[in-house]
Amino acid sequence: MSQLKSPEIGYCLRVRTSTIRLARWTGLWVAATALMSFGPVFLWNKAVVFTLFAVGLSVAVGAGMILANKNYLAELDELQRKVYLDALAITVGVAVIVPIPYKVLEKYAVIPFHADVEHLMMLMSLTFVVSLIYGTRRYR
Amino acid sequence: MKNRLKVLRAERNWTQAELADALDVSRQTINAIETGKFDPSLPLAFRAARLFALRIEEIFHDPAMDNDRSNLATEIKKDTYV
Repeated sequence: MSQLKSPEIGYCLRVRTSTIRLARWTGLWVAATALMSFGPVFLWNKAVVFTLFAVGLSVAVGAGMILANKNYLAELDELQRKVYLDALAITVGVAVIVPIPYKVLEKYAVIPFHADVEHLMMLMSLTFVVSLIYGTRRYR
Repeated sequence: MKNRLKVLRAERNWTQAELADALDVSRQTINAIETGKFDPSLPLAFRAARLFALRIEEIFHDPAMDNDRSNLATEIKKDTYV
């Protein structure tokens, strides 16, 4: 085979690197959020200074995760970026539409439990994963 | 949009993965373009044209343009007879 010349750092390697970077930031963010959520009760007995520090840490690591996600998106090729952005668009749509009806269901006691923000987070995660799988299979 | 990417690749005995490497995209993207499920951007079409040393329209073509050309030819014929 002749003529074919690949870029110095291949596409797969670049995407793998940015995926690992994003996974690390996501792991750190989950850990920082867990620290912020459970630390006040289990670790420092609701001391305000430590709680403020944990909140600041979670927000700072969250900002790092956002940047890593942005870099990851920039590394994807045009089809994979389209699939990713389509999945994000559906997820944002769900995040905008669902909370108010969910709150109404809680207000009028249609559902027997509290409408917590964690439920919305889980729904968004699930929506994103399903949309991503659907998009990937669509172009297979 | 139709394209001759699969034919051109086969003529050179390149795999989808090798072509994907050369065009700096994923193998899935090459497959989606070859099967007509995804239309490449202009920069990617230019990269493909450069790689195969062909013009873009020798690799990609829009069937709608063929219809337009055929309609135009019919119109010209009509005008000629009138």
